Amino acid sequence: MLPRAAAVFLLLAIGNASPQRPAPAVAPAGPVASLPTPAAPLSSRNASYRISARLDPDARTITGDEVITWRNVSAAPATTLQFHLYYNAWRNTRSSWMRERLLSGNTALASRPAEDWGWIDLTSMRVNRAGTGTDVFSRLRFIAPDDGNIEDRTVVEAPLEVPVQPGETIEIQVAWTSRVPRTFARTGAVGDFYFIAQWFPKIGVLQDTGWNCHQFHSATEFFSDFGTYEVSLDVPEGWTVGATGREVARRAHVTGRATHRYYQDDVHDFAWTTSPDYIEQRAKFEHPSLPPVDIRLLLQPEHEAQAERHFEATRAALRSYGEWYGPYPYGHITVIDPAWQSGAGGMEYPTLFTAGTRWIAPPGAAQPESVTVHEAGHQFWYGIVATNEFEDAWLDEGLNTYSTARVMEQAFYPHFYAKRYFGDFVPWVFKDLPLTRAADGNRMPAFRAVAKNDDQSTPTWRYWPASASAITYNKTALWLHTLERMLGWETVQRILSTYYSRYAFKHPRPADFFTVANEISGQDLTWFFDQVHRSSNVFDYSVDVFRSEPVIARGIFGDSGTHNYEAARSTPATFHTIAVVRRLGEGIFPVDVRVRFETGEEQRWRWDGRDRWKAFEADGPSRAVSVEVDPDRVLVLDVDTTNNSASLRPQGRAAATKWSLAWLIWLQDHLLTYGFFV
Amino acid sequence: MSVASAFRDGMRRVHGAPMLLAGMCLVTLLVALPLSVALRGLLAAQFARSLVAQTAAAGVDYQWWQEFLGQTAGLGATFTPSIIGFGAVLDNLDALLDNRPMAGTIAGVTVAWLVLWAFLSGGVIDRLARNRRTRAHGFFAAAGTHFWRFLRLGVFVGLVYYVLFSTVHEWLFADVYPVLVRDLTSERVAFLIRLAGYVVFGAVLMFFNVVFDYARIRIVVEDRRSALGAISAGARFVRGHSSLVIGLYMVNGLAFMTLLALYALLSPGAPDSGIGLWSVLLLGQAYIVGRHYLKLVFYASQTALFQSELAHASYTAGPAVEWPESPAAESITNAGSSVVF
Repeated sequence: MLPRAAAVFLLLAIGNASPQRPAPAVAPAGPVASLPTPAAPLSSRNASYRISARLDPDARTITGDEVITWRNVSAAPATTLQFHLYYNAWRNTRSSWMRERLLSGNTALASRPAEDWGWIDLTSMRVNRAGTGTDVFSRLRFIAPDDGNIEDRTVVEAPLEVPVQPGETIEIQVAWTSRVPRTFARTGAVGDFYFIAQWFPKIGVLQDTGWNCHQFHSATEFFSDFGTYEVSLDVPEGWTVGATGREVARRAHVTGRATHRYYQDDVHDFAWTTSPDYIEQRAKFEHPSLPPVDIRLLLQPEHEAQAERHFEATRAALRSYGEWYGPYPYGHITVIDPAWQSGAGGMEYPTLFTAGTRWIAPPGAAQPESVTVHEAGHQFWYGIVATNEFEDAWLDEGLNTYSTARVMEQAFYPHFYAKRYFGDFVPWVFKDLPLTRAADGNRMPAFRAVAKNDDQSTPTWRYWPASASAITYNKTALWLHTLERMLGWETVQRILSTYYSRYAFKHPRPADFFTVANEISGQDLTWFFDQVHRSSNVFDYSVDVFRSEPVIARGIFGDSGTHNYEAARSTPATFHTIAVVRRLGEGIFPVDVRVRFETGEEQRWRWDGRDRWKAFEADGPSRAVSVEVDPDRVLVLDVDTTNNSASLRPQGRAAATKWSLAWLIWLQDHLLTYGFFV
Repeated sequence: MSVASAFRDGMRRVHGAPMLLAGMCLVTLLVALPLSVALRGLLAAQFARSLVAQTAAAGVDYQWWQEFLGQTAGLGATFTPSIIGFGAVLDNLDALLDNRPMAGTIAGVTVAWLVLWAFLSGGVIDRLARNRRTRAHGFFAAAGTHFWRFLRLGVFVGLVYYVLFSTVHEWLFADVYPVLVRDLTSERVAFLIRLAGYVVFGAVLMFFNVVFDYARIRIVVEDRRSALGAISAGARFVRGHSSLVIGLYMVNGLAFMTLLALYALLSPGAPDSGIGLWSVLLLGQAYIVGRHYLKLVFYASQTALFQSELAHASYTAGPAVEWPESPAAESITNAGSSVVF
């Protein structure tokens, strides 16, 4: 259950969008004073933005200007300012983002036509402090703090003549023009559909050790400080706009355009979308002990019949995450159903996320439910507990994948394996193949293939690009599920809720999570985190030898003076059972070994799992029938569970016969299908 | 002869040749069986003595299945969940329509089956054209007589289909389709465009398919030696009787779609154990028999249509092939009556 103290704290501290406060009505735009009065801050609010942007759909450009109000919250003076210019990742194939994509074998993006590329160019930058402004535009220089790639333009630095002292606040005025690409990394446009994210010059995070302002990498996402966002978006009139925060004003112009103003406190990013095609629907999330949430859904017309599925999945996430970890404090959330082939689906932004579904989405196939739950869940792990996704992406993606699988199991079970045919359009749901949380929810198959590619503790931006997601999402979900089976859900739930309440609106690091886990579990779990986080060890326990036979001894029997040789001496009704289990992987984990006997009795041993093998022997009146290592499947990380057991009445041949006969029908049908040619 | 009459006549001819149906089913089974046995070996090795085999024997263990797929390649990689029930049909149709590459072992057995079928189809068409029993020796003699003609025809046919898939299919689905859907934001519209692509490509395939079908029929019925001449004759027949030919093709296609729909409705999915297992396997085999039946009806109805347009219905130019006597009997005959034994 929700920790009461955390809930009360968060509810009391809810910002301007609190459900206790009436939502600002959409009205003609007025001065900033008409905006909601800022409530007590939930976050440091040290990087706030006032942005005005104009979208030109014909040229696919955005022209914008912004004022960043930035406070140095570090202990050291800032001698420079660093900014992300994410859109430059798609300027050309020499950016670090594109090079990493090419490294992972994805060459399709690099061969796009001219109109698909994007860029962002700064046109001015001034720093205002104590009533004086300094033009720093001429001193800007691109830097590549991660890989030294001088052709990468995703980070720009402005040297300051006078350092910004700890606690000092400055204003930075920036103007820019950008070209909206055809979607890369879930931001861009296709047709009249625009999803605009990571689109404005964004200041990095200054820490005591210096700037944390990574280049844009193909396998990582983002990191930034909390603040207040006031954003005016100028788009063609009649186009629906969805964005982070609430719309506080809308004004139509005689030019056939309209300006939409959005406002949100205590968030660390701002994304928006616009399209003339959206259908808008609204619903509400209500719960006896959680704050209500207004849900706004912007839906593609061809998905209109799936509106309730989106709402239900969003409610399931808000309910489960709210009950398990803590309340969702913003009072509103916007769900975006992206256009087909927009590439914008399945991405999270504060108070807004993109889901993703298909025109034909049969029930039971978990689409759009799974992605909706996952992205709604990111409001908690990423939106509120704002970890550094460049370095520790597993902390939000992994926790969220684990949580998503739990929600799916509870709210949408069963759901089934589905495959699409004929150009990936026509789905077929295999009702015989229910998806399990342990394997499918945690995404074991994808992890299994790349399990050794990286230590999870390696900074995420340095992961091998092609397998980064499996190490980030899948591995974390698998080890958290293992932890749940090891410590019990109640303990893991308390770990996560404590971590949530302690680090809401902060930037925790892995050590913070581990500290909470040790503290709440009352155990030193370092050995576990060493295995699963600080190494690339793979877990694989197996049964090797397994016999259970009547006890027949041979040799010399009797005392001194009566030594008799016996070729076969049997002990009546006694069976000797031996099971040798092996550790095939490098990972070490304590496991149970269970032997079952013909009488239905069973015997268990506990093995610390350290040696490469261990023999377990038992003498008893009954013959053994089976042995299993880790019979309760505590070690969800075990990459091969088929070898975890052995039976003295094996049915492998029967199963193989059955499935080869089923496959035979497929092959006969295949031959007859190609028989079309004769 | 009307389309309906030709189709009914075709069905009657196939009904009159039950051994033909049984034999063709047996051929397909025998070609497929060795790979099935090989796969069984792979699966049995993976299961070994594991308790997982019990759940896999009693039903489906999807987790095991994923582990198996994670450790296998080649033939084993074709053992995907798509083999279950109607998924198998979708998977194979999808592979054909989207020109998906197939595993080497599967490609090998497919080519072997096509060559074998090409050999046997001479006997099949001969039997269906004569519409009377020819017995095994007559069947195989006809198959042998026409095999080299069919092989020559097959080389040409293979070349045409290769060109169609490597150029027309490639052009439609790798060049035109992406351009047409590039800026679409509606999946429904994109699907309709793809569907239109399938129709266009299907029409092209159908045209060549039907010409080659009548070429085969004319080789057998008119005892033609030239494969190219037969193609030309087949094309002439199609052009001269286009509405009947297309109508009959459509009726046969409809029968095929009906069979698929029935299997989709009745297919119980994954086999469990005991009676459930055998009912799934038997239903699957019944579907396979149904497909063989429809393939023979296709041949038979087209043959009936062609023969109905000849001056003498049911005419076959080639004489029934006599099984050669044994060398001993021939020697006796040659020796004449003067020889005393």
